[in-house]
Amino acid sequence: MALNFFDQFMSPVFLGLPLMALALTLPWILLPTPSSRWVNNRLLTLQGWFINRFTQQLLLPINTQGHKWALMFSSLMIFLLSLNMLGLLPYTFTPTTQLSLNMGLAVPLWLATVIVGMRNQPTHSLGHLLPEGTPTLLIPVLIVIETISLFIRPLALGVRLTANLTAGHLLIQLIATAAFVLLPLMPAVALMTTMLLLLLTLLEVAVAMIQAYVFVLLLSLYLQENV
Amino acid sequence: MSWAVLVRSAIVAALCRRARRDRSKVPVVPNDLPLPSSTMLSRLVLISANALKGSGPLGAGVVQASRSLHSSSQSLAPVPSLPEKGGKVRHGIIPEELFQLLYPKTGVTGPYMLGTGLLIYMLSKEIYVINHETFAAASIGAVIIYGIRKFGPSVAAFADKLNEDKVAKAQEVKDLAMSSLTQATEDEKKEQWRVEGRSMLFDAKRNNVAMLLETNYRERLHTVTNEVKRRLDYQIALQNLQHRMAQEHMVNWVEKNVVSSITPQQEKESIAKCLTDLKALAKATHAKATA
Repeated sequence: MALNFFDQFMSPVFLGLPLMALALTLPWILLPTPSSRWVNNRLLTLQGWFINRFTQQLLLPINTQGHKWALMFSSLMIFLLSLNMLGLLPYTFTPTTQLSLNMGLAVPLWLATVIVGMRNQPTHSLGHLLPEGTPTLLIPVLIVIETISLFIRPLALGVRLTANLTAGHLLIQLIATAAFVLLPLMPAVALMTTMLLLLLTLLEVAVAMIQAYVFVLLLSLYLQENV
Repeated sequence: MSWAVLVRSAIVAALCRRARRDRSKVPVVPNDLPLPSSTMLSRLVLISANALKGSGPLGAGVVQASRSLHSSSQSLAPVPSLPEKGGKVRHGIIPEELFQLLYPKTGVTGPYMLGTGLLIYMLSKEIYVINHETFAAASIGAVIIYGIRKFGPSVAAFADKLNEDKVAKAQEVKDLAMSSLTQATEDEKKEQWRVEGRSMLFDAKRNNVAMLLETNYRERLHTVTNEVKRRLDYQIALQNLQHRMAQEHMVNWVEKNVVSSITPQQEKESIAKCLTDLKALAKATHAKATA
């Protein structure tokens, strides 16, 4: 089974049936189910602790109105984290490398924050289009620039996640191929390439976690502006 | 092999149907056929149970009542306790049960031979082809194993600590309640002891009050005596004064009368007598001096 570098990014299909739904929902099985016990096993305790701390930290700067989004943010974080981390395993498909998925997450959520802001406090939301203390001459230019930056946000959110993960996976494939091909030819260089691969893997683990966190953090920031 | 199972299950099903019609006999495995192994018996139970479920008017009820296929307990309380530790694993992912399963036939090295053989088979038959993904797999595997080895115990200790803190907080509340209750019991006992000594306290107080009254009475008596004595002294002093004044007055009057009664004739006579007396005295002393 000869692999080309882009097979890993193809949406999985088996006998004509798309497996994307499986790829998106199966990581949920790995997470322990909360039980009705007061004292749980280690895995469940750690999961509960992590989700608690994360949500607490994330919602700290947001006022009470925005706390309605707590479930959305924590579940989004766990979702992205598990998808990204599982994608690092060999022969796995990472759904977050698909631009369609990331845009499907970013655009509705960003639009929701904007609409919430525009409905509840339109003046305050529109006020964000002009930073404080700008010289009078620059105001029209700045408004246009800020509007553009506002509309770029969903694009940036989606593409950031896609690009980071795709680039990371592709790099891993390339450097692994380099090490593999060099092994019979120049073993010493292959060894160095393997070291590079190890470091890159560590980086990818970090990137997987950081990108998930950045996605959710930016959304919370957008919410903070509008709520 | 499966035909024998089917035949046996059919026999058992027929027996059950007959037993239910009789309602006196329990379905029994016929003794003349050889007993199957434990794994096959479970299959037999399943098949016969399925047959029982479908057959007869009370088929379903009979199986439900006996709970032959259920594994959990029937009541929710008391809550069944969870196992304290997870299943034992060797090398992190392979459950110990595999080793126990293979031990009777292949001994200690059995599972390892199985693993190695499987790996070599897959490689040689090119079921698994070594490619660049293998390298990627090796590196992520190394990262995962290193992470688990290095941070596993500390993360486990952290999770245990979280649970222990939770339990300790509740335990603290319980201990505090218990200690406050024991303290309350002791205080109550002390109060009861104090109540016993109440009569002694009242006696002492009564004595105190009596002594105070006595002292006060004596003081007042003393004051009265002093006052009376003072008044009497005053009267005495007054009388003395009057007595003395009368005496002085009398003396003065006598002197005045005597002095006024002395006439000039008497005065001359007395002076002349005094002179002659003095002369005689002088003569006498002079004579005494020269003698």
